[in-house]
Amino acid sequence: MSLPEPDNTELEILLARCARQDPKALEELYRKVAPQLLAVLLRMLRTRDRAEDALQDVFVRIWRQAGQYEARRGRAFAWLVTIARYRAIDLQRAARRLVPLETIDEPAVPAVRPESTLTQRTLDHCLELLSGEQRQCLVLAYQQGLTQDLIAASTGHPLGTVKSWVRRALVSLKRCLES
Amino acid sequence: MNYQQPDLLEQLAGAYVLGTLQGRARARFEQLDAQSAGVRAARQRWEDRFMPLLKGLEPVTPSDRVWADIARRIRQAELPAAPAGRRRHVPWRWGLAGLAALSLLIGVSIRLLYPPLQVVAVVGQDAAHPLWNVARSADTATLTVHAVQPVQAEPRKSFELWALPRDGRAPVSLGLLPRSGSLHRTLSAAQRAALQSAGRIAVSLEPAGGSKTGSPTGPVLYVAEVSSAG
Repeated sequence: MSLPEPDNTELEILLARCARQDPKALEELYRKVAPQLLAVLLRMLRTRDRAEDALQDVFVRIWRQAGQYEARRGRAFAWLVTIARYRAIDLQRAARRLVPLETIDEPAVPAVRPESTLTQRTLDHCLELLSGEQRQCLVLAYQQGLTQDLIAASTGHPLGTVKSWVRRALVSLKRCLES
Repeated sequence: MNYQQPDLLEQLAGAYVLGTLQGRARARFEQLDAQSAGVRAARQRWEDRFMPLLKGLEPVTPSDRVWADIARRIRQAELPAAPAGRRRHVPWRWGLAGLAALSLLIGVSIRLLYPPLQVVAVVGQDAAHPLWNVARSADTATLTVHAVQPVQAEPRKSFELWALPRDGRAPVSLGLLPRSGSLHRTLSAAQRAALQSAGRIAVSLEPAGGSKTGSPTGPVLYVAEVSSAG
């Protein structure tokens, strides 16, 4: 994110207050993270209306599930992002025929930037070690929420090939990130 | 499918996080996830691994209607919620016992390392102007304090946090408060006991480094009720 990632401890405390059904805490949380979450949703769902509807669902879900958040220091923001991503994935699945294929851009693998963190550089490094096709599959799926058949359709490769690229990319990535 | 193979679990968890695990396989993974700490741990590792791919996104300010709609929906949600649907019985659940047993150890160690936070109190002038959020780990061993915004401080003074026991015994110091940012502090047995039995906590203004006497010496600036619901 271009904005500094919110303070995870602060988010954890807000989540703990949400778990006790304090609406002020949800509002504070919204002010802090909604713009980041909307950016994630917008890239996956493409239209502002769909992304904002999803954002609503995400915060209603956070309100209901805050009690299930297991505090692991430093993960609160990641937890919020995953709620948003999974909501977008569910919505994509329900309406995937509506995704206009011609709007799919070439995925941009983020360049290593001076301010990038160690985990970012490590992931970039490990992505670089994948084949171009494998990397493209992962990035299209993760960033844009594309299903494998949409990746196949948009890249012109057979579905079976895409599936095996994804499978092998996950194996290689895990091995590289853990080494 | 045999979920007990570590490689397969990694594949499924990775595909779940990517979003390429679809349909019934996705629903099945979610059920597993709800039951097994090992499955959850595998999923969370993948979530962490992929997170950096979200860097570089420009935040987008939502339109005003979004918060208004959320506020309306959570007010409606305050009505008693419908009971959760009964879990469907599915045959593959039987194969999970071994995995669940294996993952128990992982789950236990994760909980020990990262016990959930409980709110102790919000300290400030009033609810609308919080200065510090005070929380503790569920095992009460760690105190976490976050300064909501940088706190104006007089030169050569410190803010000190006190537990005020219900029975009127002397306040017990819980240490100095941060002027900005967050701090985590391991509590001594005496501090844990004092916080457990405290009805309120207080903040006093002390000489730099804190009270030298073990009791509050400066003016008490704020007092907050300790949340019993924790």
